[in-house]
Amino acid sequence: MFYHDNEAFENPDYHYSETLEIDRSRERNSSFHQNLHDSSLDDDSLYDSYEGRSGRGQRNQDYPLAIPMASMQPGFQYSYSTSRSAMQHNTNPYGNPHTNPSFEYEPELAYTSPSFHAADGPYVRRSSDMSDGGSFSQRYNRRQADLVYRMPSSLLRLDSNAETYNEDKHKQEEKLIKNLASMSSRERIKAIQKTPKTMKEKRDIRNKVLMEKTKKSASYHTQINCCTQCLYKTALSYQQFKNGLSECWHLLQFWQKTLKVIGGKFGTSVLSYFVFLKWLLTFNIFSFLVNFSFITIPQLIVSGPNNLSFNGLELLSGAGYFKKTVLYYGFYTNSTITKTENNSSYNMRLAYIFTIGIYFIICFFSLVYSMAKSFRKNFINPHTYSGSAAKLLCIWDFNITNEKAVKLKQSNLSTQIKESLSEVTLEVLNLSLKQRIARIAVHLVVWVASLGIAAACCAGVYFLSRNNLQFLEGKKSELENEAATLVLPIVVSLLNLLVPFCFALFGLLEKFQYPRHQLYVTVIRNIFLKISIIGILCYYWLNDVATLEKECWESLVGQDIYRLIVIDFIFCLFGSFFGEFVRRIIGTKCCKKLGVPEFDIARNVLDLIYTQTLAWIGIFFAPLMPAVQIISFFIIFYVKKVSLMRNCQPPRKVWRASQMTTLFIFLLFFPSFTGVLAVMAVTIWRRMPSNQCGPFQGLTSIIDAVSGWIHILDSYSGSKWVVWIYRNLIGSVHFFFILTVIVLMITYLYWQIIEGRKIMVRLLHEQIINEGKDKMFLLNKLSALQTSKLGPPKGEQQERSSSLYQPSRQAALQMTASLERPFGRNGRDFYAESFSAGIPEKTGLSPADSEGHRPAISETLALALRARQQAEWEMQDDDDKDFRP
Amino acid sequence: MLKEEREFLAVFNFSYLNIQPSCKDKGKEQWDKNQDSETEMGNKQTIFTPEQLDAYQDCTFFTRKEILRLFYRYRDLAPQLVPLSYINKPDVKLPYELIGSMAELKDNPFRQRIAEVFSEDGEGNMTLDDFLDMFSVLSEMAPRDLKAYYAFKIYDFNNDDYICKSDLEKTVNKLTRNELTPEEVSLVCDKVIDEADQDNDGKLSVEDFQHMIVRAPDFLSTFHIRI
Repeated sequence: MFYHDNEAFENPDYHYSETLEIDRSRERNSSFHQNLHDSSLDDDSLYDSYEGRSGRGQRNQDYPLAIPMASMQPGFQYSYSTSRSAMQHNTNPYGNPHTNPSFEYEPELAYTSPSFHAADGPYVRRSSDMSDGGSFSQRYNRRQADLVYRMPSSLLRLDSNAETYNEDKHKQEEKLIKNLASMSSRERIKAIQKTPKTMKEKRDIRNKVLMEKTKKSASYHTQINCCTQCLYKTALSYQQFKNGLSECWHLLQFWQKTLKVIGGKFGTSVLSYFVFLKWLLTFNIFSFLVNFSFITIPQLIVSGPNNLSFNGLELLSGAGYFKKTVLYYGFYTNSTITKTENNSSYNMRLAYIFTIGIYFIICFFSLVYSMAKSFRKNFINPHTYSGSAAKLLCIWDFNITNEKAVKLKQSNLSTQIKESLSEVTLEVLNLSLKQRIARIAVHLVVWVASLGIAAACCAGVYFLSRNNLQFLEGKKSELENEAATLVLPIVVSLLNLLVPFCFALFGLLEKFQYPRHQLYVTVIRNIFLKISIIGILCYYWLNDVATLEKECWESLVGQDIYRLIVIDFIFCLFGSFFGEFVRRIIGTKCCKKLGVPEFDIARNVLDLIYTQTLAWIGIFFAPLMPAVQIISFFIIFYVKKVSLMRNCQPPRKVWRASQMTTLFIFLLFFPSFTGVLAVMAVTIWRRMPSNQCGPFQGLTSIIDAVSGWIHILDSYSGSKWVVWIYRNLIGSVHFFFILTVIVLMITYLYWQIIEGRKIMVRLLHEQIINEGKDKMFLLNKLSALQTSKLGPPKGEQQERSSSLYQPSRQAALQMTASLERPFGRNGRDFYAESFSAGIPEKTGLSPADSEGHRPAISETLALALRARQQAEWEMQDDDDKDFRP
Repeated sequence: MLKEEREFLAVFNFSYLNIQPSCKDKGKEQWDKNQDSETEMGNKQTIFTPEQLDAYQDCTFFTRKEILRLFYRYRDLAPQLVPLSYINKPDVKLPYELIGSMAELKDNPFRQRIAEVFSEDGEGNMTLDDFLDMFSVLSEMAPRDLKAYYAFKIYDFNNDDYICKSDLEKTVNKLTRNELTPEEVSLVCDKVIDEADQDNDGKLSVEDFQHMIVRAPDFLSTFHIRI
């Protein structure tokens, strides 16, 4: 009967009653007995249970019940379940109560821990590919083989473990190869690339997989026919084509070297500005290519010579000579362009509207895509984001290669760490009610002030532009007119330059608790200012200029936008000259306290967003606006780079580059791009195009061009489907209503799923903590067992096992006592204590001795204990080495 | 390769570097020349067989061109040691001193750890395979899991598969150039363990580390070396 009692780990205290509810629901009573056996077996079963855990349940079936039977003792009664009702809640989610996975055969197997994918979330893992699991479960140390053989050979048991381990490894590898072979080539390559192994091993696996594949295909070869061969060839050539394309793509990624230099000197944060700039530039290049090829080239074919004079001021004002060029809307014809006689013609109207429409649709999707990608990457779990741990281990920027930058970064880091240490005491400081009210009042006042300033700016801009318009009505000389048109953009740019400084001053007044909040608030205020200025200008254009009955209002708007962009560009250059160059001169020569200026990432990125918004609006009124934008971005890139290299130092504060980039992409999408779409919609549906110029002259609204075309198509029987699509899908309110309802439903569904997953994440997190407690408990018990085990003398096996029961019982009691202590930090202390007690006696545990105890004491426990001790010793040795002066 | 041999090679390399500090430029010339010959003849067989290149492509996140570029970077470190042809799979290892002198690594406080982690012998002496492996993991394309795994190993100074307090202390000292007092360092490390340790065992396992990485989105962009 002593058998049950021998199993020290069957103590009902082994698991806490707080084991999760969801765990209990997965209790597997049917496998209960078997599990009991497994746990008392040698570590084959350990692997076995581990395998089961890692989502490859079939392993459990690979090992039939025969294995547990092998070690079955005579007289072993299956009476646990009745005698120990407490065991009922012992089952952990994996149905295997005694093999805590984090507990097996350390340290080597620690790497095989199946939850490596924890980062992806447990559900992902469950659904993830089998082979993936296989490959990750093999994430051993590069020197894992060494580790295995470093085990003292006197530990016979462990040696045999190494053998079984190798066998197991072999099996795993076979399995992995099989899995890989069954995948498609692309997936396979991805899986191999992801394996954290040395190149040699990866190549071996790859070659084996390929062999396997050829073997398989060889069996197919008998029935290979022309068709499959053809398919295979197509696939092969497609692969080659793709390789070539990706190489071309890499060539296209210009400025790689410049970016590397900037990253090396200033780190990822400043780099993010340049990456953003580059991204916008590619946007503009794309739109330029589209517009140029579909709108401008056909127009150039038919356009006549330009007889206006060119005097240089046009570059600034965009008027005069440029009026009669392809730059502006007004120059494009409304006719169909026909070169050959045989009926093939090019309708300029349709080309214009479709090109721009499709460009906006592509922009929309690519923005949504990059925004979603960025959000998915960077805001996975923003709520639990906590500073210092991640700060410390993820903060080092491996991009930085410049010696000075490294030193600067290091000293910045040390001050940051010191600051955060002092903050620990600061945070506890509670503000009194009065102070809190005062603080809120300050925030309110500042918000009102900044909104008021923005509103005042808008009003000023609006009245100025109206006055300007009236001034231009009067008959003045050409030069005077052109100079007058420059007033508005200069004022706007000045406002854009100066008001943000004002907002920055407000930030000093407010004294935010976290610098992050200050940053976000400043960004929001600035974007509000910029977007409202653009908004008021759009209102002015669409409300005042468009109803003016002048010869060509679209071109006038295009000119205005051109001027705004050019003047803003010039101010940007001035900004980096005065803001950075002069500031550095002052900082280094006159007033040493100021020091070298930092590169203001937020302000610069907002400037980019502002110009991009203008350029998007301008695309309709001046189809070649992207070209202007490309030139200006190109120059800005180099100016900023030079100015940065010469004048600036890396920002001292932590700039969470990826989150800020996400925010900026979002800002580019939400107020900026959606605003542009709204303006476009008003222009196309509600405003009458001018009568004397442009592709849409003579229509009541621009969209009439499309409906007229549909009307013509109606008479052709071959294109009925286009008409149908237009009438029933694009032109129909019902369709959009239904679409909206469906989208809302899907959104709601996903939202609910997310809510459910949040709960799941929380539960799983609790479970991790509980598992940790379990582990602690077991470790404590083991160490206690260890200390008490040294007492009993050697003797007959049976005797020993019976005598061993006593200490283990004691240990159990001890553990029960220890349980009453709160876990967590205290538990950890306790763990350390008990181990420091256990370690000096390492010589006491002779392998032969423990070998003898096997039948009595649980082998699992002994093994795990030894492995753990081994790890402890090694760690100690290493530590000693490390700290030796 | 025997240890003595390697040491000898290291010494040899250094003497070479001292005598001829311009060998880098020479390597560059060689590189340009090779680029030319490559475009001229359109073949890459001089260095790798197509199969080898395919294998490298499948095992790293690089394209052919990048692999070749990296090969030249590798070769530039010791042109007299690395043959121009890898068809016969020569067993060449560059000593850590050369690897650590690369512009990308030479100021990195963790350069020795990086080299040790990625080298097969664990001492920072790298074969071409190790070299490619290293930059593949540190490239932009590598997924978060892989990066996190190797970052973990880099911070695990004593190779015990856990980041314990002593590892963290070393990390902090490297990050701050020993500017903090030992008390401050120990305080910071306690805080980190406190925060990131999910299972309360007083040290960070791979899982803890992974868990932390997920919440630090900047990690992907900072654990990245541009080549």
